[in-house]
Amino acid sequence: MRTFLAPSIHAAGALVWIVLLATMSVVTVAFGAEAITSERLLSAQKDAENWLMYGKGYSAWRYSELSEIDASNVAKLVPQWIFQSGLEGKSQTTPLVNDGLMYITGPSNHAWALDLLTGRPTWHYSATVPKEAHGCCGQPNRGFAALGDRLFKVNYEGTLVALDAKTGDALWETFIADYKKGYSATGAPLLVKNMVVVGIAGAEFGTRDFLDAYDVEIGKRVWRFWTIPEPGEPGGDTWGGDSWKRGGGSTWTTGTYDPDLNLIYWGTGNPGPDMDGDVRPGDNLYSCSLIALDADTGKLKWHFQFTPHDVHDWDAVADPVLADLNIKGNPTKAVIQANRNGFFYALDRASGKFLFARAYTEVDWADGIATDGKPILIPGKDPTEEGTKACPGLGGGHNWHPTAYSPQTGLYYFDSRNGCQIFYKTTQGFVEGQWSQASTTDRITGDPSTSSILAVDPATGETKWNFELIAGSASGLLATAGGLVFGGDGDGNFMAIDARADKPLWRFQPGGSVRGSPISYRFRGKQYIAVAAGSAWLTFALPD
Amino acid sequence: MLALKIAVNILPALLVLIPLLCLAQQERANPFHGDAEAAEAGRGAFRIYCRPCHGIDAKGGRGPDLTTGNYLAGNRDEDLFGVIAVGVSGTDMPEYEDRLPEETIWSIVSYIRMIASEGETPVTGDPMVGEKLFWEKAQCGSCHRAGGRGGRLGPDLTTVGRSRSAAYLRQSMTDPNADFSRGYQTLIVVTLDGGKIEGIEKNYDNFSAQLMDSQENFHSYLSSEVRSIKRELRSLMPAYGGSLSAQEIDDLLAYLVSLGREE
Repeated sequence: MRTFLAPSIHAAGALVWIVLLATMSVVTVAFGAEAITSERLLSAQKDAENWLMYGKGYSAWRYSELSEIDASNVAKLVPQWIFQSGLEGKSQTTPLVNDGLMYITGPSNHAWALDLLTGRPTWHYSATVPKEAHGCCGQPNRGFAALGDRLFKVNYEGTLVALDAKTGDALWETFIADYKKGYSATGAPLLVKNMVVVGIAGAEFGTRDFLDAYDVEIGKRVWRFWTIPEPGEPGGDTWGGDSWKRGGGSTWTTGTYDPDLNLIYWGTGNPGPDMDGDVRPGDNLYSCSLIALDADTGKLKWHFQFTPHDVHDWDAVADPVLADLNIKGNPTKAVIQANRNGFFYALDRASGKFLFARAYTEVDWADGIATDGKPILIPGKDPTEEGTKACPGLGGGHNWHPTAYSPQTGLYYFDSRNGCQIFYKTTQGFVEGQWSQASTTDRITGDPSTSSILAVDPATGETKWNFELIAGSASGLLATAGGLVFGGDGDGNFMAIDARADKPLWRFQPGGSVRGSPISYRFRGKQYIAVAAGSAWLTFALPD
Repeated sequence: MLALKIAVNILPALLVLIPLLCLAQQERANPFHGDAEAAEAGRGAFRIYCRPCHGIDAKGGRGPDLTTGNYLAGNRDEDLFGVIAVGVSGTDMPEYEDRLPEETIWSIVSYIRMIASEGETPVTGDPMVGEKLFWEKAQCGSCHRAGGRGGRLGPDLTTVGRSRSAAYLRQSMTDPNADFSRGYQTLIVVTLDGGKIEGIEKNYDNFSAQLMDSQENFHSYLSSEVRSIKRELRSLMPAYGGSLSAQEIDDLLAYLVSLGREE
């Protein structure tokens, strides 16, 4: 039997409560009683019972070692409970699960703790988004980080808040960046040692972006790495004039961490303005790059730029997944990414050395990637006043949706779009705090763009299977030891696919687009699958 | 009861406030009137925000042609400002006042003013003749509604004159596959016994499809229970370039352009 801890103890009844709780502790175990330690985070990938961080573990495999639900029985999966948030906006979050509770963040600065048994909320946190905060792309939030009895999340207007995991009360709130300049915060933080590492968005508003680390106790900033260097700094000469001041390079998703190398890996977004490269001559470091930072200092260890001088908004913010692979016969500690520019990359994660790249979707802007990792450009693909067709389109092949790597199958799973768009360049003056994309795109009439879930061999980049999503892709993915991949589509189908073949084995229509990322955990000895769809959160399990 | 009390208390204030708001609206003046630099800035904003519907050259598409100099909401700068700021009810035109600062909206107005010198391409047909064609020879009414009459397979055209440019409507008649809205793609289902059902797509995903056939019958199928489901990027609407004369196309166009404008 489990029960709740009282949210607060009033002075008058304190003694009674203490005695009562002491008595209860003999026969019960409280929800959320097992604190999340640094040691538990280091082994989070192996913790099949819980889901302690955004990517499951520091390597962001999103792989559950639970195998109770498998190809032979997944067709029997049924909903256990549904939590309706009542919010507008789509939920892009990855829930956390620890010891009987699920912690979820919703759009527009909402968050809840849910009882795993019933789906009933034990607390609700909310903070009003300032009316003037209108950064890029809605007001989503992609999840919590956790340590001890604290949860950490960003608020949309550019703050980082620490919540008491038992009550949802805000313990501290720290300013990250000014929303009036166009900054916004939507990504799930990454907990490293005693720091909350957190990114920022704003490139579409001509901001200069960064990655920050904050002390978990009081929210004081420990370090900041500017993704756009100043003149005189390494990389500063890759920006013409003062264009670096508005250079973008957002860090709006979540990175990974290698404890052995003590390196944090984080993807960066497009340079600003998005499609007018004339005003920012040069390669525009460290936009559209993967950066590897010393976790203690935030100093740059190495970088790799996927798309120098990007003019198509091909952010490099997809999961930088850490995997030990056998590449061309060599055991390799790799970091892999399905980049938005249409190529899958593998890099040496200690040195940043380019290992290989391979197109996974239609690409017409580069004739492959050279041995030095730079794209072999095909002329005439930059945006123009009149419009230029380029493939992939603005959203790229694979965008930001969380990916999954299964050590069981050795395959890497991600969603992808196959199609092209017309890219227009336009002149746009910079006004602080105003949209500054200097561009627009258009669909191509009759272009049969398609979406898929791909299974790629990460050691070669070869696509092993391609499951076309007729209704478009929208969600993150989960791989399990049951030989399954879970994901959703834009029309709300949540499904399980055979991890070894492009064959759907189960599906459920939750009535809302599946834009969250599924997770798996064990509760009362039983495996569950959970995901956000529409404005609801759902859990599934096999019937008793 | 509470709502009634609030209404009683607030109503007099509103009665005073609304005329004041209207007055404020009337007194809005374009701070960039005649400012070529602002118009150029507006061109950039137009390409970003307005292009998806009005076209990269503002000559219309899903939204009306804005180069004509004549606008349903009025031809003054403040009329254009109001349309951009609060949108147009009953059409696809959204409101921008929460997304764009006033200066940007005014700069877009200035740009529209700058390009609005070409004059509207005259629609020379006879709308009365066009209306007769719509319901009789062309049989448009078998699939489209107008003024509460007609079919339900295609889009309701009751106010299409307000929301589509003449060029777009002409193209839709002569080349209906050039552009069509989501929800009007063609689905073809072949059942296990070989039956073939063709209709417009209501939903289609990996597991099921729903469609409406030409008789306005609704069909729903699970993918596992049919032989095949195929989506075709074409409209079920026939092209009228061969079946109607150029004059008849002009007449039909004149009728369509008139729909919704009488208000």
